[in-house]
Amino acid sequence: MLMPDIDALKAEAKRILSEGMVDMVIGFKAGDTPLHPQPAFFKTPDEVDQLVYNALCQNNLATYLTRFPKNQKIGMVVRGCESRSVNALVFEGQHPKDGLYLIGVPCEGIIDWRKIVEQTGEEVFSIFEQSNNTVLVESKSGFFTLEKETLLHESCSRCIHPNPISANVVIGELLPEGDPALAREKVAAFASLSMEERHAWFRQEAERCIRCYACREACPMCYCEECFVDHITPRWTESGTTPAGMQGWHIVRAFHQTGRCTSCGACERACPMDIKMTYLTEKLNEDMRRKYNFEVGLDATTPPPFSTVTLDDKSRFVI
Amino acid sequence: MNLILKKDHLKHLLNAWRQDYEVYAPQSLQNFTHFLPLQDGFELAFDKAHNTRIPPKALFLPTSEALLKFTRFGGYEEVPSETAPRLIFGIHPCDAHAMTMLDTVFEQERYTDPLWKARREATVVVGLGCDEPCKTGFCTTVGSGPFNHAGLDAILTDLGEIFLVEILTDKGEYLFTQLETASEDQSMQASEVQQAAKASMPIAFETEGLKQKLDQNFASPYWEEVSRSCLGCGVCTFLCPTCFCFDIVDEAQRGERVRNWDTCMFRTYSLEASGHNPRPSRVERTRQRLSHKYSYWLDQINQIGCTGCGRCVRYCPVGLDIRAMLRKAHQLPSEVLHA
Amino acid sequence: MSETPKLVLFQCQWCLFAPADQEWVDTQLPENIHLAKVPCTGRINPLYLLNAVQSGADGVMVSGCLPEQCHFKTGNIAARRQLEEFSDYLNHIGYEQDRIRFLWLDLQDRGVIQKELAAFEAQITALGPAHNLATRVAETVGGANA
Repeated sequence: MLMPDIDALKAEAKRILSEGMVDMVIGFKAGDTPLHPQPAFFKTPDEVDQLVYNALCQNNLATYLTRFPKNQKIGMVVRGCESRSVNALVFEGQHPKDGLYLIGVPCEGIIDWRKIVEQTGEEVFSIFEQSNNTVLVESKSGFFTLEKETLLHESCSRCIHPNPISANVVIGELLPEGDPALAREKVAAFASLSMEERHAWFRQEAERCIRCYACREACPMCYCEECFVDHITPRWTESGTTPAGMQGWHIVRAFHQTGRCTSCGACERACPMDIKMTYLTEKLNEDMRRKYNFEVGLDATTPPPFSTVTLDDKSRFVI
Repeated sequence: MNLILKKDHLKHLLNAWRQDYEVYAPQSLQNFTHFLPLQDGFELAFDKAHNTRIPPKALFLPTSEALLKFTRFGGYEEVPSETAPRLIFGIHPCDAHAMTMLDTVFEQERYTDPLWKARREATVVVGLGCDEPCKTGFCTTVGSGPFNHAGLDAILTDLGEIFLVEILTDKGEYLFTQLETASEDQSMQASEVQQAAKASMPIAFETEGLKQKLDQNFASPYWEEVSRSCLGCGVCTFLCPTCFCFDIVDEAQRGERVRNWDTCMFRTYSLEASGHNPRPSRVERTRQRLSHKYSYWLDQINQIGCTGCGRCVRYCPVGLDIRAMLRKAHQLPSEVLHA
Repeated sequence: MSETPKLVLFQCQWCLFAPADQEWVDTQLPENIHLAKVPCTGRINPLYLLNAVQSGADGVMVSGCLPEQCHFKTGNIAARRQLEEFSDYLNHIGYEQDRIRFLWLDLQDRGVIQKELAAFEAQITALGPAHNLATRVAETVGGANA
């Protein structure tokens, strides 16, 4: 990530805390292991000294918004996708807009730690982001200098909106918007495979699932107190690792994000079995863009396609 | 008496075993390793990662298994317990040790799980010790170790071109009959490797008095602080070799009663039919996880309920590190609980 | 020769205005078509379609009213968006789009549903049985009623 001015970030976080504008600032702090900075919840200006912000900060912090009472004033450091998730949550009534203070950071992409360990092995001792867009990694297998661009999570390589949207303040230079064609091409490439190839891919990805729901918990838009998988009557889907269960879970979770998903990729990054899911959500996101000219989170007031009705839809079926 | 297995003889031996057993060993699955049955032309994957993502407990307690099959108006039939002989090769001591702890859960005097028991009895377990223990592992801290014997029928020590094989049980004896005996030098060399491996692991947290600290600080605000970033997913528990909780559901549409892995980290785990939930938030559930492993297991079997495999540390989506959580817990004040 | 396809019909209770048509569906629907009557197509949660597909349906038909004729004003047009997107989505992962048909009936239609069902069945027969996604099928012979 464009090395954000960490001092400016800290100063702003400290300011809004000390002026009582927010009860806490959500950001990241150093991890206990090299690959994983941790989400952090700073309640006092002193605690903000622990703030860390770099390309390894792989979680979408907006997922924590729904875990706090609506009357709490919350500050959050947000990147492009995260800010759109926050806007989506505000639209869905999950937190009042004036109870939020968003410190925006333009984002050059999040590193997928799996791409690091693919080259260095899993025993990573240390990681340094260098200013020439490379990452220096020391692992049990030796020292590696890796091009940061090759390490970005897939979702980040297709990112259209890297800049925070409707943040209270932006720290860092705005970046150019991404090319929507990248997302479109990715979906088209999958769609151009034969039905059997697409199904084989879907089945192969789904069958590794262990139903840990890391994807669900990492996703800011999955905040239902009772998820559809918890229902017994009706039994929407099977709860175990039977083919019906695993496939039903992936099919429906992605579909419940239609018009809500900001393509942040946190779901894939959270999965312990390295399962791909964004090929499902991207298809739906692309359909929303193409059919309804809709992208979630660009503001906090435009309703998503599934929450509106119109007589004008073009239907596959006559009339 | 120790034996020598030449590394270039390993495939031959595994294929010989395949005549009598279904053999499982770590193989590549995507970018990680997984215990899979050996097929013709198999490729082992030991060097890639220090351990499989899913622990081998899954071979004894599957992520999902049918217990009964039934029809709506008819009867039902129990799914028979598997009894085909199996051999697991290349399991690490942390995972094998964990399985002996699960034995105390599934094979109790009053209640024995027939499926677990049948699988355990039909399976031989051959371990591979960790000559270069992983940084995220902390087996020596919790009473296990990179060459611990618990749960193994035989254990291998990597000596470069060869493995030193130590037979640990009768089951293990039959496997290695064709091998030559190890020399004293070789045995000593293995012993040195094992000692060095153990010594190389720092103590991750103090266990002395840890249980008391956890028990005494049940009501501490520490739990709110430590659980704040926890997502409440099931990664740590599902990847944990000592976790065993399960849920039984009737998939009535398909006519099967199924046992699935479950986790105390889910809200629905402790949710009661009345709607009351004794662990209503992640605060209570995180406290439960740490306390079960590092306090309540001690009450049950006088062992810490963790063998330090490190998977929870490596794969937690938000980077929570149980070692750090316990170090902080140990620094909590000792409080006297008032009756 | 192809076997008789298993079809599921989600029928809005208002869309068959002619009593003769509704009676035909209620009493003479061919055995291979499973009927699920709903108060409005707007009631149809996409998961109903998923359940039909996972239970082994070779084809699913949803019949409802034309836009502006919905008894509940906008139920059908809300359904139309969601359900058509869902069928598009299932096509993406292995359940052919042509296996899911939406039939938006006019109040003045007579005898249309019989014709459409017959045509749909012929189409599905030509497509063959659905191979993918049928993971929630009871194994016992005779199904859940055995």
